[in-house]
Amino acid sequence: MIRKSIERMAAALSAVGILLLAAACADVEVPETASDAVMAPVFEVDPMWPKPLPNHWVLGSAIGVTVDANDNIWIIHRGNGNPSTELGAAQDPPVAECCIPAPPVLQFSPEGDLLNHWGGPGEGYDWPGSNHGITVDPMGNLWIGGNGGDDAHILVFAQDGTFLKQFGKPGARRTDSFDEADPEWSGNSMDPENFGRVAKISFDASASEAYVADGYLNKRVAVLDIETGALKRYWGAYGNEPDDANIGRYDPEAPPAQQFRNPVHAADPSNDGLVYVCDRPNNRIQVFRTDGTFVMEKVLSGATLGAGSTWDVAFSKDPEQKYVYVADGQNMKVYVLLRETMEVLTTFGAGGRQPGQFFGTHSIATDSKGNIYTTETYEGKRVQKFAYMGEGPVEQKDQGVIWPTASR
Amino acid sequence: MAHRIPVGRTDRVSPLTGHRAAASSAAVRVLLFLALAGTMAAVPVTGVHGHDIPSDITIRAFVKPEGQRLRLLVRVPLEAMLDVTFPLNGPGYLDLSRAEESLGDAAMLWIGQEVSIYENGTRLAVPELAAVRASLPSDLSFSAYDTALASTLGPPLPVDTQIYWQQVMLDVLLEYRIASDRSEFSILPGLERLGMRVATVLRFLPPTGGKRLYQYTGNPGRVVLDPRWHQAAFRFAQLGFTHILDGMDHLLFLLCLVIPFQRLRVLVILVTAFTVAHSITLIAATLGLAPAALWFVPLVETVIAASIVYMALENIISPGLRRRWMAVFGFGLVHGFGFAYALREMLPFGGDHLVISLLAFNVGVEIGQLLVILICVPILRILFRYVPGERTGAIVLSVLAGHTAWHWLVERGGTLWEFDVLSTSPDGALYGVAGLLALMLIIAAFAGWALTRPGRPLQ
Repeated sequence: MIRKSIERMAAALSAVGILLLAAACADVEVPETASDAVMAPVFEVDPMWPKPLPNHWVLGSAIGVTVDANDNIWIIHRGNGNPSTELGAAQDPPVAECCIPAPPVLQFSPEGDLLNHWGGPGEGYDWPGSNHGITVDPMGNLWIGGNGGDDAHILVFAQDGTFLKQFGKPGARRTDSFDEADPEWSGNSMDPENFGRVAKISFDASASEAYVADGYLNKRVAVLDIETGALKRYWGAYGNEPDDANIGRYDPEAPPAQQFRNPVHAADPSNDGLVYVCDRPNNRIQVFRTDGTFVMEKVLSGATLGAGSTWDVAFSKDPEQKYVYVADGQNMKVYVLLRETMEVLTTFGAGGRQPGQFFGTHSIATDSKGNIYTTETYEGKRVQKFAYMGEGPVEQKDQGVIWPTASR
Repeated sequence: MAHRIPVGRTDRVSPLTGHRAAASSAAVRVLLFLALAGTMAAVPVTGVHGHDIPSDITIRAFVKPEGQRLRLLVRVPLEAMLDVTFPLNGPGYLDLSRAEESLGDAAMLWIGQEVSIYENGTRLAVPELAAVRASLPSDLSFSAYDTALASTLGPPLPVDTQIYWQQVMLDVLLEYRIASDRSEFSILPGLERLGMRVATVLRFLPPTGGKRLYQYTGNPGRVVLDPRWHQAAFRFAQLGFTHILDGMDHLLFLLCLVIPFQRLRVLVILVTAFTVAHSITLIAATLGLAPAALWFVPLVETVIAASIVYMALENIISPGLRRRWMAVFGFGLVHGFGFAYALREMLPFGGDHLVISLLAFNVGVEIGQLLVILICVPILRILFRYVPGERTGAIVLSVLAGHTAWHWLVERGGTLWEFDVLSTSPDGALYGVAGLLALMLIIAAFAGWALTRPGRPLQ
């Protein structure tokens, strides 16, 4: 009796199993090569990364991310800029158990553990009024810019937070000397010693040069010697001599502007002698040779107004750097471009606060395994990881949120 | 075109004071030099004297026997070299003009004397330090043996390179005298003390060509670099044995299996069925047949926790041997995926003997399980002698085991839930998993049917 019922159950289970297997096989047989599919790197957001911060720490606008040689992830943010409603424990007296702004510079392991933290004003250097951008150089040092009122300088720190160097002086861009009540500033893209609110610094290890996206006040790419900070060359849009005159707001119908608009937000050299510059409010990436010769430009979402569409670039980690990833904090997404043609293969991300969504996609970086890390400014205030799943056919031009789904 | 700035217009910061100085001024340069020299004179040994053990480091190494010589190339972060005083200047830059001796000391102290290499089972003498070099963290030469060797033997970094000492990579070439490059070599790395967590990427380049990649964390024990089948089998049997004894969830599953049935013969067969089941999925996963989705690992872990809860509930409600055959076999299939994740990193240690290694791992697991049963059964028998009735004792123990597993289930299920698998799998992954689960059901059903035929040793 019992044996018979077991046999019946086994038969029923087998039938269910066979049906499910058939469903699986049927699914596998569906051709996935739609005519509009392109081969592109495939990513999934990792909703578990990073792990929660300790000490009731909270992030502010996160305006820089970089990956060091050991695949550790560094970010910089402005926790002190959070509203007091978020910083109850930091009020005097504290009004709540939470929260406290995390130190400005945070280092995470590839697994998402917080490894190190430092930053803020200190002896011997001028911490920016509004820190902006963080990038690791070939020596492993971290370079930080700033887009606060007086910020006209760059800071270099060792990974343990030891101050190493400062290039430029804060306040160098003031035009009305030192009227603290009503300060005014203006750009000077010819200044060989100071900068104009630096957005980001990137590096060409082979030439020992630093490329400065300069910036929120100046309108140039400035190239420095990594060790001395000496300015070696600089240029404006199309390789023109930079002109700091105000050229008004971006107009999609107008002819292309012959100067960068502020901010010039990133200038990243590739490993084949090209430099990719984010001319943010002009919605374009301009590509140059390392000597400043203009090569080509690519407009992305050209109708974008306001803060613009081209915020930061990062390259895929294959030796050819086959793909370029562009962060767009105004349209809340990341573009995936084929570097050789600068064709947009696909985009991912959408506006929102859940994993895989963005609010103010500000900075982007890749690790040695091809994973992408992004930080978000404004009220986005976070760092996200997009796990590289290999190359595969991508059918959607705009993928939206790339949630973990997987068998890709 | 770019506007060029004449070289020499520098804007640098004094490494001593941190204040900016016009380096174009020769006077300032002289002052800087004097200040630096003064500091050096006042502090005869400028350097770092002590620091913390780094929390997380990666070591890259190559082992290559060539003729009468075996070369060991190693790259370690300099910050892991404790108890060695390195000459520094400025805010903490390694003084490359004076660093060679201390770099060599560090290389021999922490690597040359710690690493043990064996030729045909005999430990080789302490090696000769053939070269030592400080490298930048961005240097990629250690991605391949030839470039790593060329870099280590090549020119040193310019002495005026400003590199913060804790960010220096130390490249070391050690040479051992050997009788023949065709001997059997093994290595006991001994480098796990260099950090709180030490990850190593070791490549062995045998004289016959090819290369073998070993990746491990901590101390892997003595590694036979090109193992014979019996060496691979022994290593993996050991691994299986220790893995089952380390895995709390697998042990609790076994305990639930044992609680209501203290007859050794029946238990041995049950446990063997479990082993056969997890062998199937372990081998399948190793061959790449498991879904690669991020949520598959939490899914497996959740089902493992659920398997314990189920066993405990069955023990409490109605422990039946007939149902248990199917449950044990089905859950064994899931546990196999769990073993596969534990084993993935270790597979290169089997050399060319992948299948033998996997089977040996399962044998090790089986031996470990049988040992657990051999220990548990007499203890349970004695325990149940002192409680009012064997059934009551079984229920109490099962409640305790089930309670623990319930917590795991909630915790792991919470992690799994974060992925929101059900609502977001349009591309076949979910069907793949459904297919796998169906396969498990079929196998379990078949096993149940086969084992309930007359004459089988069911009870």
